[in-house]
Amino acid sequence: MVDLLLAQSAFPEAMSQHVLAHYLFVSAAMFTIGLVGFLTRRNLIIMFLCTEMMFQAAGIALIAFSRFHLNYEGQTFVIFVLTVAAAEAALALALVVFLFRKRDSLSAEAWAEMKG
Amino acid sequence: MDFIVHPVLLFVALAVCGVGVALSIPRRRFHAGLIGGIIAATGVGILITALGAASLADGSPLPNLFFHGLAIIALGSCLQVITHRRPVYAALYFILSILSTAGLYILLAAEFMAFALVIIYAGAILITYLFVIMLASQSRVEDEEEGISEYDAIGRGPVTATIVSFALLATLTVMMFGGIREISPPGAAQVAQAETVVLQRLPGKVEKALTREGLMNPGESVAGVERTEAGVFATVESADGGTRQVALPETLTPTNTEGLAFNLLGEYPGTIEIAGVILLMAMLGAVVLARKFAQIDEEAKATAAAALAEGRADAIGTLGADVGNGGGATSDG
Repeated sequence: MVDLLLAQSAFPEAMSQHVLAHYLFVSAAMFTIGLVGFLTRRNLIIMFLCTEMMFQAAGIALIAFSRFHLNYEGQTFVIFVLTVAAAEAALALALVVFLFRKRDSLSAEAWAEMKG
Repeated sequence: MDFIVHPVLLFVALAVCGVGVALSIPRRRFHAGLIGGIIAATGVGILITALGAASLADGSPLPNLFFHGLAIIALGSCLQVITHRRPVYAALYFILSILSTAGLYILLAAEFMAFALVIIYAGAILITYLFVIMLASQSRVEDEEEGISEYDAIGRGPVTATIVSFALLATLTVMMFGGIREISPPGAAQVAQAETVVLQRLPGKVEKALTREGLMNPGESVAGVERTEAGVFATVESADGGTRQVALPETLTPTNTEGLAFNLLGEYPGTIEIAGVILLMAMLGAVVLARKFAQIDEEAKATAAAALAEGRADAIGTLGADVGNGGGATSDG
């Protein structure tokens, strides 16, 4: 009943809905943890790290659905998610370095007067 | 809706999780990281057990045993990322969560993406994060205790944030667990079709396999692959134009990388170009944002230019000192 084989040499079999539900739950829980972190942490770098965590959670859901429907679209889109994550990391970290030079602090509240 | 986990049990487990997460977030008076983590793990454990019981009751197979270990490591290290007071450790725990996510990808038969995730995320993006954290942690903040900055030691509104986030999680899981029975897994015919579609694009691989098995003579080539009631057949064309049908060996299956490559490059070639442009723009943007702005005093520049024209070398030395000061003082531009 429990498939202990790690390496799949054959083309994957169909996956049941219950297994899909397990993976989707992990994805949703990881997204929520990332959201809690984004809302509570006050360190700019950790806040961006939490957005990366949410990207990763979306990736798990995409790959689980790709495996469930046995097509490759989900995996292809994870490649694009990785691209966006890399671009975001580059820009966000450059911004953080820029802001850190201005205030000498990584706190998001150092910029609290930036209101609309 | 036909729930696979009873909604009341779901909400209770999520509430337990939420209490654990809210407890473990750093705050001023107390820091119950371990207790919070244990409570949150209990909540996740209740839910995973309920999910497993539901699949056993329906006679559906459980996920691979490694799933449970990897999921616990992934969620646990994610919790550490948002609760650890030292940013460097948070980034290291995030690398751990990426590695276990890559393990989940392997269980989902997405080997290429698993390795791409380790190389791109753990190898490149997180190392950049670590560099920036170490670069920015050199500042001497007055009110830090034991080297931890005040903004890392105290979270902002942990209870509100947790309630809002777990309301979102409750909505997501109710929708998922209620509607998951309405989507059906592909049948055996569709699985076989998915396999054949990839093989149809790989005549070279089919040719190699048939030659190895001795089913094809030199001088013949594979003209196509098709699926019939009896199995998968390759149309083999001989040099004089005659064709015959050869049954493919059972062991001939496309790999994940082959299928993904044909999907990525065959169906979305324009999107790859756009992704390349996005990366290029991000690189340019990062360079523009992170460079230091050295402002040279226009007057000093004019003086130095005049001095240069007169051939006085001593005036240029003064300008050099000015540039040094200007670069340091106005680096925040």
